[in-house]
Amino acid sequence: MKWIIICLWCLLPIAMYVHIISGQIEVSFASFYQAVFHFDANDTMQVLVREFRIPRLLMAMMAGAGLSLSGMLMQTLFKNPLAGPYVLGINSGASLLMAISLMTGIQFFQSNFGLIGTAFIGAFGAGILMMSVAQRLRSQLSLLLVGLMFGSFTSAFVSIIESLAGADSLKSFTMWSMGSLQQVEFGQLGAIVLIFCVALVFAFLLVKPLNLLVIGEKPAQLLGLSIKKTRRSVLLLTALIAGLITAFCGPIAFVGMAIPNLTRLLFQTTNHRHLILGNLLIGAIFLLFMDAFIQVLEAFISLPLNAITSIVGAPFVVFLLIRKLK
Amino acid sequence: MIQLNQVGIGYQKEILRTNDIFLESGKVYALVGRNGIGKSTFIQTIIGQQIVLSGDILIDQRSISTFSSKELSETIALVETRFEGVEYLTVKDYLALGRAPFTDAYGRMTSVDWEIVQKTAADLSIGHLLEKNTDCISDGERQLCAVGRAFVQETPIILLDEPTAFLDYINRNKLLEILVALASKKNKCIILSTHDIDLCLDQAVPLLLASSGKIELFSSLSKDEILNAMY
Repeated sequence: MKWIIICLWCLLPIAMYVHIISGQIEVSFASFYQAVFHFDANDTMQVLVREFRIPRLLMAMMAGAGLSLSGMLMQTLFKNPLAGPYVLGINSGASLLMAISLMTGIQFFQSNFGLIGTAFIGAFGAGILMMSVAQRLRSQLSLLLVGLMFGSFTSAFVSIIESLAGADSLKSFTMWSMGSLQQVEFGQLGAIVLIFCVALVFAFLLVKPLNLLVIGEKPAQLLGLSIKKTRRSVLLLTALIAGLITAFCGPIAFVGMAIPNLTRLLFQTTNHRHLILGNLLIGAIFLLFMDAFIQVLEAFISLPLNAITSIVGAPFVVFLLIRKLK
Repeated sequence: MIQLNQVGIGYQKEILRTNDIFLESGKVYALVGRNGIGKSTFIQTIIGQQIVLSGDILIDQRSISTFSSKELSETIALVETRFEGVEYLTVKDYLALGRAPFTDAYGRMTSVDWEIVQKTAADLSIGHLLEKNTDCISDGERQLCAVGRAFVQETPIILLDEPTAFLDYINRNKLLEILVALASKKNKCIILSTHDIDLCLDQAVPLLLASSGKIELFSSLSKDEILNAMY
């Protein structure tokens, strides 16, 4: 396991490098450095780096790491390897509120960061709904079906809103729903990184409860774990991360479900101290490569990120289904 | 160790009531009775998951209702009927979870904690399983690990809910033998519910007999007397 972690730490800068050089316009490292520390607004190269490359690089890493982490949290909480923010409708909840907010003009919050708040409420609401349903279900597959039904249900409302919306707002929502790492501006990055880091600290504080949840809620409770408190913290954290990422990058499919399984497969452990780190690294590396691939093809075609992650993720999930449930 | 004072047991409606019973440390008690008579509810009541309807349960002269969940986790350990095993969870890590009430907020194990895990594994002769995954061992081995996790918790009281239900004859015998030996060696009060009356008689384990709404303690009964009382 030690070696895998070392390899991942080595692979991360490589993935970042690949992501940087795969852009359509070549930029030097000097302009990268200057754009961050001695920004000159007259240098187009530096503006390009600052406004496009850096936000996209950081968002790719945070989206990959964040979605994997929230997927892992849900899989442990629901004791279900098929759980994830996308399949359990966390994204759908966020999408619904985003659709209402972007297309009907009903603002839940003022300011730029109202988006996070909106997506967060949607994600958290969906999380609570899924939690209450999960307590009534025994089979792991049933929960999945309920998640899919919830997805269809919300997307029906989204369609209705779409049909009523004006051309401009419809376009901005459609762009958002395809998933993109390019919507974030340099100025917004600081706050996003800050929220993300707070979420990470919070996640590491949950290591002990998560490790106990592995053997089931009741045995964990008899080992002194407060189940209600743990459920609440894990759901809040999942919604915070998934909401943050979904608000700025749109719904990104399958990363949150596939990467935690891949991590477990590689690490062969249930210790969340290692799993959290593994998910963060593998998730970031995965999305960096995916987005680098999109960048390379951008000269010919602009592919939506959501489509690419689905193409890679869906078959992997089918593989897991065959392996685990037979 | 445990004092049961006319304890009314049930879910909203009373289904069982105990006599005044005192359960000592260092002994194994077998809770026997027909299906559905309330053995599991009795166990749930002692571990504090089910409220006492009337009377009182005292642990070292203190009412169970005054225990916080942390204190309970330091006093009583439960072994469930079946532990299914978890993918990639090793026996060692599983046993280590038994230290959870005593580790810090981050769940870090001290060398003392690991020593307890190692010693318990030796006591139950499952040392050779420590590095194996809990879903890759036999039912008998897994049940021993579940018992091990309860011992690692180092509580004065251990409850086992039909621990022999999924075991073969040899493993049933072995499990009860180990429990009897460890109860006296570690001075623990152990209660297990079971349908294996023969097994309890072989080991001369005192019986908590649940029948017609009552739980009574018998230190020695013949098989006929037991069956007469039960059916």
